[in-house]
Amino acid sequence: MLPAPGSRQLSTKDGALDAALERLVPGRRVERTDTPDLRVTAVRRLPAAAASYAPFPERLDERLCRVLTSRRIPQLYTHQREAIEHALARRHVVVITPTASGKTLCYNAPILDTVLKDPSSRALYLFPTKALAQDQLAELQSLCEIVAETSHEQIGVFTYDGDTPQDARRTIRARAHLVLSNPDMLHAGILPHHPRWAKLLENLRYVVIDELHAYRGVFGSHVCNVLRRLRRICRHYGSDPTFICSSATIANARELAERLTERPFELVETSGAPRGEKFFVFVNPPVVNQQLGIRRSYLAETRRVASEFIARNLQAIVFTQSRLTTEILTTYLKDDFEGGPGTPETIRGYRGGYLPNRRRDVERGLREGTVRAVVSTNALELGIDIGALDVCVMAGYPGTIAATWQRAGRAGRRSARSAAVMVASSAPLDQFVVRNPSYFFDASPERALIDPDNLHILVDHVKCAAFELPFGAAETFGRPDVQEILRILEEQGTVHATGDTYTWTSESYPADAISLRSISSDNFVVVDSTGEPRVIGETDFTSGPATLHPKAIYIVEGRLYQVERLDFEGRKAFVREIDCDYYTTAITYSRVTVLDTFAREGGAPRAHGEVHVVSRVVGFKKIKFYTNENVGSGELDLPEQQMHTTAYWLELTESTMQGLPYASDDRRDGVVGLAFALCQVAQLLLMCDRHDIGLSIDSDEGAHRMHTIFIYDNYPGGIGFSEPLFRMHGELLERTHQLIADCECESGCPGCVGPVGYTGPLAKTVALRILGVLLEQLVGDGLQAVPGLQST
Amino acid sequence: MIDAGKLRDRLREIVSPNRGAQPRAAASVEAAPPSSLEAALGGAWRGSTFIIERESSADVRYGEQTVGDIAEGLRCAVQEAVLLTGRADAAPQFLFFDLETTGLNGGAGTYAFLVGSAWFDNQGAFRTRQYLLCRGGDEVALLAAVESGLAESGTLVTFNGKSFDAPLLETRCLFHRRDWFGSRLPHLDVLHPARQLWGDPSTGCSLTQLERQLLGVRRAGDLPGFEAPARYFQFIRSGDASLLAAVVEHNRADMLALAAVTARLFALVRRGPCAALTPREALGLGRLYARTGRHDEALAAFERAVALMDGGAPAFLAAEALRALALAYRRLRRYDAAAACWQRLLNRGCDGAARREACEALAIHHEHRVRDLAAARTFALRSLESAPRERWEDAVRHRLARIERKQGAVSAPPLFPSSPSWPSPPSSGLQRSGRRISS
Repeated sequence: MLPAPGSRQLSTKDGALDAALERLVPGRRVERTDTPDLRVTAVRRLPAAAASYAPFPERLDERLCRVLTSRRIPQLYTHQREAIEHALARRHVVVITPTASGKTLCYNAPILDTVLKDPSSRALYLFPTKALAQDQLAELQSLCEIVAETSHEQIGVFTYDGDTPQDARRTIRARAHLVLSNPDMLHAGILPHHPRWAKLLENLRYVVIDELHAYRGVFGSHVCNVLRRLRRICRHYGSDPTFICSSATIANARELAERLTERPFELVETSGAPRGEKFFVFVNPPVVNQQLGIRRSYLAETRRVASEFIARNLQAIVFTQSRLTTEILTTYLKDDFEGGPGTPETIRGYRGGYLPNRRRDVERGLREGTVRAVVSTNALELGIDIGALDVCVMAGYPGTIAATWQRAGRAGRRSARSAAVMVASSAPLDQFVVRNPSYFFDASPERALIDPDNLHILVDHVKCAAFELPFGAAETFGRPDVQEILRILEEQGTVHATGDTYTWTSESYPADAISLRSISSDNFVVVDSTGEPRVIGETDFTSGPATLHPKAIYIVEGRLYQVERLDFEGRKAFVREIDCDYYTTAITYSRVTVLDTFAREGGAPRAHGEVHVVSRVVGFKKIKFYTNENVGSGELDLPEQQMHTTAYWLELTESTMQGLPYASDDRRDGVVGLAFALCQVAQLLLMCDRHDIGLSIDSDEGAHRMHTIFIYDNYPGGIGFSEPLFRMHGELLERTHQLIADCECESGCPGCVGPVGYTGPLAKTVALRILGVLLEQLVGDGLQAVPGLQST
Repeated sequence: MIDAGKLRDRLREIVSPNRGAQPRAAASVEAAPPSSLEAALGGAWRGSTFIIERESSADVRYGEQTVGDIAEGLRCAVQEAVLLTGRADAAPQFLFFDLETTGLNGGAGTYAFLVGSAWFDNQGAFRTRQYLLCRGGDEVALLAAVESGLAESGTLVTFNGKSFDAPLLETRCLFHRRDWFGSRLPHLDVLHPARQLWGDPSTGCSLTQLERQLLGVRRAGDLPGFEAPARYFQFIRSGDASLLAAVVEHNRADMLALAAVTARLFALVRRGPCAALTPREALGLGRLYARTGRHDEALAAFERAVALMDGGAPAFLAAEALRALALAYRRLRRYDAAAACWQRLLNRGCDGAARREACEALAIHHEHRVRDLAAARTFALRSLESAPRERWEDAVRHRLARIERKQGAVSAPPLFPSSPSWPSPPSSGLQRSGRRISS
């Protein structure tokens, strides 16, 4: 890991990078004031930082220090030392780690130290994906080999995941000191079989949670409950492990760690690792039609920007926002840089839904340098080892500050120059960020939210916990009354109360029916029936109808397939390869009904509570490649999807609307435009993915003449967004007002109230007027409101 | 935010969305009073474990035989037990063992609610002792009782017990931090030999099937095994022990069937190949012998299988028998006999993989032993016809090239007529080619 300054290759690379940046931002590249109205709105230089070192802690085992020294680690970075000290003192610790700052040593050192001093000690590592565990295995094994050579202590390291062969599992249970796994395997493979893991569990000293920030939303809420189960089983075996977590930069890493594990944490946040100079550039595609507020396609702009770097032989990663855009950009860049069929594939796509060997192939190609550019969804955002690349180009704002830094971190070496470019799309969120660079560069990143006490999720895990160990009458599990849940389960016959315990009385194996990653473990597989039928991909159940409806175009690494038949019951889509010049997007309608209002306040009432959402894919549009023209559409008849969830809503009453001097059609356009902008800003405030929340407008044209804008949690039972949004009501309105008012377009564009055509000509004006009235009423509310009485 | 009543309704909605908010009528949930258990099942409490003991005397009929006949067949079966378990310490007394469990998935939430054990006493009577779990908290006592019940037995006999019953009980022991007592005893899992001897790939190999097919016994009014867990859960909730009577009977019937199948298995092993009545029995028997290194007996069994086959046998079975016989001959270095088997296999016609193997074996045989290079070449070429895998194909091409090179060398006048142009140490050459075949 020694820096190699002055190496010829690096200096040529720096030159190439400078040349590409010069093309992008002619003139001086040094930091300058932001220019929101130009094509390049911001250029920031992140200076190189020198390393700051600290010696090994004195209590660290002598043998381990020798091994590290022999691996050319004669001392530690300051943050490593701090984290190791906490862990050795059995204090739970979370380390905020930039990419390539040596985070693995923060947990490997205290764990190896403990195993060396007491060989009966065990540790469990949890990674959000199987691939990350495989990645770490190699490093840990080679470390343990040196330990074995120098100290004659054999330390067993094994991965344990869905791919582990049955006959190897017994060995692993007996011999592994360190088990590398994932939350899904802990949930369905280890905890339900805990008697067989007794040796690990009773000697469990440490639990490592890597990439902590990945555990938010639905996934995080599930994982919190899995950890509740783990701690419950550990109590049974008399162990009390220390948690060591690492996280990308988020605002509330300590809070998230404490919520997930329900333990107090120490925070280590100042990195002592060195880093090379990095340039961060914001690009806003130029407006091509002032009147309509239409900008040049951000995909075309991304293609142009990425090409500048790829053409100069700089290795690049291009991040996109969806599987579809990944495929589109891969197609564009292959056209630009690859020879015909049969020539080496230097441009690759990468996304969930590809089969594992295809993914491994791309990862290897990136490390070895045979792949010059990869276009990826967020699938490569986490720490899979693909080596350090020269450039990261983001097609569209990733949605959160944390994710943007994480993706940018994929480019950059310790001693060489690198660049990250964010190309804004015309979505309101992108436009807000690209025109307010300081919002990104100077604000703190977002908070990660979880709601482990969501009753749907909690009940699932109470079942798993009851399967694992009978529940005592005094036991607690989460915030809601678990005894009440057990009584209901007893009514249904799933558990049975004898004396003071509830015992599992069902033939089923509950963990099998519960997936941590999505609403259901169901998925659709995509079968190519062009020749011999073969599976070419998969997609989760909820997005199945929208991406695999009949006549949809399904794309894998630039190859186009058309869906011929969707077997909804059998969860299969049959596709055939075709040659066409368009892709498809689905049109979805949804309807929301209020079931229960938890809180409601204000003269312009806003509320949050429980709702019922019915949604259906009703049709699709055909969009031409490159020009994005709408070249046709079709109707579809697919089954409805229903869910019970929570929502925040805003009621636009007659009294709010009556003062507005507009016709009712124009008023409705204003409401639609306002809803569009509100939903985008809500995403910004909640740090959530665009799929995490849904938008629906209910217009009552009858006696009350009222419009209600619903922003609902896109997960059964809700995932804890609605109440915070309700509390942030004022900020939501102000930010939305700022977004629309600052927009340069005349009467609406994709960057504020939606593109022309989505709403009417007065949408922007009316939306602003409505917001004006709402903000006035909010001031009125503020005078009347008695703090504390209205909160729930 | 949510009051208790509302929480309850929401929970009901979540737990069973289709049933609505109506709670199911809660039955009496108290543990059954001991008297009703005793009345319904005829057992007795020993400490906190309920134990049911029964006896069927030697003269009770079981199909065409009596219980005493079965006992007789098992009495001195030391040799057979050693052969079948592969353990020298396997000996009578045989303890038949069968669990009724709360599920088939395993894991910490699956447990055995009825542990059945059975043996034959000196008078030839079949005696069963069944341990019933009445409350979750009594499991430790039950496991201890089962363990002490094993004390006098010599060999554990189960049906699929190595994959199911033993791991499940082991998990229960681990759950309670106890040693797993089953590992101390030799364990004969009858499923595996039974599948070899009598299993039919199309219908599977269940205990009731074997019982019907092999012993001519049909059970009347037997409870299907998969209904047992539901019955038990019902008993737990209602305390109505009469629900379990059929489960207890089923478990007993299973153990008796297991004992009868075991006796039948021992008889066949004892009397040897000539006792086999079908090609499958003979073939299965041969494999049992081969697995324990008794190669002469294995050969006799395979010969018997091939002889019986002449009466007519399914094609796949015939091919398997000829292949097994060929490999057995080769192991005993009777190469000509082995070649004859391969040739017969080819003449009968067989699937691609078997044809490939036969042709390769014949190519080796003709190249190295018969030294008929033309025939060797023909077989090597034929082996290529059956769409082989790539890596394997390379090996054949390599062989072909060598044969052709040798053919060239042989047709030219020999330089040193007294010494063969191709040294062929039989043992090493044999091992090498043997390994290639099996890979």
